[in-house]
Amino acid sequence: MPSQAQILPGTLDLLILKAVSLGPLHGYGVLLRIEQISQGALLVEQGALYPALFRLVRQGLLKASWGTSDNNRRAKFYELTPAGRKRLRQQADGWNRLAAAIASALNTQPEEI
Amino acid sequence: MSLLSSLRSLVTALVNRGRIENDTDEELRAHVQNRADDLEHSGLTRAEAERRARIEFGGHEKFREECRETGGGNLVQVLIQDSRYALRILRRTPLVTAVAVLSLALGIGANTAIFGLIDTVMLRLLPVAEPGELVQILRNDPSRAGPAVSSFTNPLWEQLRDQQDVFFDTFSWSAWQFNLAQGGAVHDVNGIYASGDFFNTLGVRPAAGRLFSGSDDQRGCPPTAVLSFGFWQEHFGGEQSAIGSTLPLNNHIFQIIGVSASGFYGVDVGSKFDVAVPVCAAGVFDGKASRLEQRSWWWLNIMGRIKPGLSQEQLEARLTVLSPQVFSAAVPEDWDLDGQQRFRRRTLVAVPAASGTSSMRKQFSQPLYILMAVVGLVLLIACANIASLMLARAAARQKEFAVRKALGASRWRLIRQLLTECLLLSTAGALLGILFARWGTRLLVRYISTANHKIFLDLSLDWRILSFTTAVAVLTGLLFGLLPAFRSTRVSLTSAMKGGSLAEGSERRGRLRPGKWIVASQVALSLLLLVTSGLFLHSFFKLATLDLGFDRRDVLLVNANLKSAEIPPASQNAVFDDIESRLGAIPGVVAVGRSVRTPVSNFEWNQRIQVDAPDAPHGEDALVYFNFISAGYFPALRTPLLEGRNFNRGDTVSSAPVVIVNQTFAHKFFPRSPALGQSIRTNDSPAKKAPAMQIVGVVRDSKYESLREETYSQAFFPASQIPEAADSENFELRAERSPSALIPSVQDAVRQVNKGISLDFHSLAAQVGDSLVQDRLLATLSTFFGGLALLLAMIGLYGALGYLVTMRRAEFGVRMALGARPASILSLVMKDVAVVLGSGVTAGAFTSLLTVGFLQKMLFGLTARDPLTMVAAIGLLSAAGFLAGYLPARRAMRVDPMAALRYE
Repeated sequence: MPSQAQILPGTLDLLILKAVSLGPLHGYGVLLRIEQISQGALLVEQGALYPALFRLVRQGLLKASWGTSDNNRRAKFYELTPAGRKRLRQQADGWNRLAAAIASALNTQPEEI
Repeated sequence: MSLLSSLRSLVTALVNRGRIENDTDEELRAHVQNRADDLEHSGLTRAEAERRARIEFGGHEKFREECRETGGGNLVQVLIQDSRYALRILRRTPLVTAVAVLSLALGIGANTAIFGLIDTVMLRLLPVAEPGELVQILRNDPSRAGPAVSSFTNPLWEQLRDQQDVFFDTFSWSAWQFNLAQGGAVHDVNGIYASGDFFNTLGVRPAAGRLFSGSDDQRGCPPTAVLSFGFWQEHFGGEQSAIGSTLPLNNHIFQIIGVSASGFYGVDVGSKFDVAVPVCAAGVFDGKASRLEQRSWWWLNIMGRIKPGLSQEQLEARLTVLSPQVFSAAVPEDWDLDGQQRFRRRTLVAVPAASGTSSMRKQFSQPLYILMAVVGLVLLIACANIASLMLARAAARQKEFAVRKALGASRWRLIRQLLTECLLLSTAGALLGILFARWGTRLLVRYISTANHKIFLDLSLDWRILSFTTAVAVLTGLLFGLLPAFRSTRVSLTSAMKGGSLAEGSERRGRLRPGKWIVASQVALSLLLLVTSGLFLHSFFKLATLDLGFDRRDVLLVNANLKSAEIPPASQNAVFDDIESRLGAIPGVVAVGRSVRTPVSNFEWNQRIQVDAPDAPHGEDALVYFNFISAGYFPALRTPLLEGRNFNRGDTVSSAPVVIVNQTFAHKFFPRSPALGQSIRTNDSPAKKAPAMQIVGVVRDSKYESLREETYSQAFFPASQIPEAADSENFELRAERSPSALIPSVQDAVRQVNKGISLDFHSLAAQVGDSLVQDRLLATLSTFFGGLALLLAMIGLYGALGYLVTMRRAEFGVRMALGARPASILSLVMKDVAVVLGSGVTAGAFTSLLTVGFLQKMLFGLTARDPLTMVAAIGLLSAAGFLAGYLPARRAMRVDPMAALRYE
């Protein structure tokens, strides 16, 4: 198991949006999906998740509806709204550009200057 | 997030608050269950798995709170929470809350009422189409100083109407009283003469029938009338059948053609019209010598609607060009040549008239502004009271604040809580205040109405009044809330939690605490108000007890108008004589006199007088005020004859003309020789030489039209020698007891002479009183508010000292235990009272001396810095202050040392 990293501030929303974009999920499912798609590298604090979900719903990026989970429990399922999908695309682009820029900066060799 | 969605989430958050919290709960529970399922799969027992899951998740409460914080509607929820708590706090001390709300309601109500009057009389626009385009046209006389005048003759109006090209439209009007009764007691309604374009130009629509048009207003027009909406409702029950029916006005039958829209009362703010007749209808009333032809009968007012796009400069330039044409075409031919020259040089000017015209505006603007300042000060004093109340209450709540702070409330949150309480108080005060104001304005309007001029104002609330009240409410709330809020939340946790020794901690003796400063400034403001009210009261008292030169008590004034009885001019004098002798015979009538005008009335008759003496007054100085009277006039009014004789039966049309003058006349025209026996003449008119009149008597000076006037030179002529018979004359009846009880017998007596004679009754005392309406208003209201201010200041002083005494109970206990005598405790507290009163009175006295100067114009017979008034105000305030301070001081004296120490 790779060592786990704390999530950078501001990236939790992006990760939630990504997780939910792969299919409707309930809160606990979001947690598991983030762990899964980051190959266990990113750890979301359980309690921080819900205020974030609540905030995204309020911003109209997610919508929530009650349904039944695989183990027959009543659960609240979250899915992306069109606005959420758009936001995910923008933020992912932004993040990728930033990551690429930082990576290229960090990989710079003395002779390349 | 868009505004709409944030609003939506706010609404859902508020409406479904309970449901959302349950939702969150259930979701968090489901999460823990899911986690427990996974843990169970990994081999733990169910119970152990659930326990572990719960521990991992942490406290529900914290997340719930975090979810709630991110949710919408948070601010509103906190506000509701604050208000609920504030309500609970205010309810806990119902008496204090009631006093606070009541004093605020009085203060805010008084401010709203006075502002409402200022708004209605001075600021509000006329309720007509595009009032901003309206201007009133005035005439300016370059040869005479003074403001432009608003009255015009009909020939001038016709010239202007037909020649002008600057206005979209013009109209003229004139307010007049019309008598509805046909003989007997007069039943006057408010009429206006309105030119044909009056209603169209203003954009007023008919509520029924039709309004005047140009064709209704032409010389020789049939008598037609338009009713106001209110008059139509009152007199015709709003029936459609009123259109086409008739109405007697001054004994002429007018046909009603329509009703004007509701909400339109005319263009004169302060009065309303009941009936409008076309300008040409003056011909119906006047007969041959109609004012329509008169070139020096100034009775019409003119307004116009400016053509769009015309600037003020262009308008003025056009009017200047237009003026000579208009004035030249309407020169009064009977004026002397010099007067005619000056007439031609007069010019037209235009002033904005979006808020109409008003004689009331001139009369009441200054009193209203003064009253606005007075009620503003009263509100300030009330605010100071509530501020010190809040300070005391906040001090008593130090422990509560400390606990709330310890539990994590921010200082800002505490301040917000206290301010919410204050705003709640001021809102309650404002709501109640609006009710007070509605009632108070009506009372005020009735109070300033007089028998001759019923004030009518459209008193509906408008946005201006409501926003004024809202602003006042918020400002007062902040004013009395901010200081206590900031001071009392600066609480040190440890000292507050330890409790008890708070008072000593913050009290440093020898220095005025903020509470005392507040009371001292209240005292200062109250003194200012007391001085103001004292000045007005003093001035009014001087006016009311002024020696008028006649005795105003128990005199009934009867105006008899022969016009409706159709008595030929030649026999009018005989009819008046007949009435006079019959009235004299009525039981209860001590004396009766007769005159063309009554004292202190608006009717003014003056002319220049020539005497044959060196350096005799001339020009404006030679102006003398006239009256025609019977021999009974002076005895009935109790004006003593000083020299010579009264008129008698020997003074007839055919005998030599005689005159009685007053002292001022005698001194002015004959400073060195006795006036008796001298001859005087009126100025010659071009037509004929005026006859000489011999002075046969001198009477005491008396007031002519106003109590404030410098005594005029007056001349009285015998009614029997009147050059032109007057349609209407007045009788002065001195009654044994109540003047108004004579009215039925007067009506009977006059009916025996002729049933058609119209009668109008007034009492002389009321007529004199009506001329003092401004002074009475200022004296009464400023005294009322001065008294209120005094009361508020006393409550403030009483409260502040009571609080102080409670705080120092322990100290007094110790002093007494150590042997201090009650008297020394008393003097300790009274010293505080003296310091507060002394500093307040000193500051108030200085402020008064600096500010009362501008009241001078409104005062009569005393200077604004009248020492007597000042001393009386200081004396009253100090006495009241010491009384208010003595009560808590006595309580301090009675502190039981043991009880006080044990309490500590």
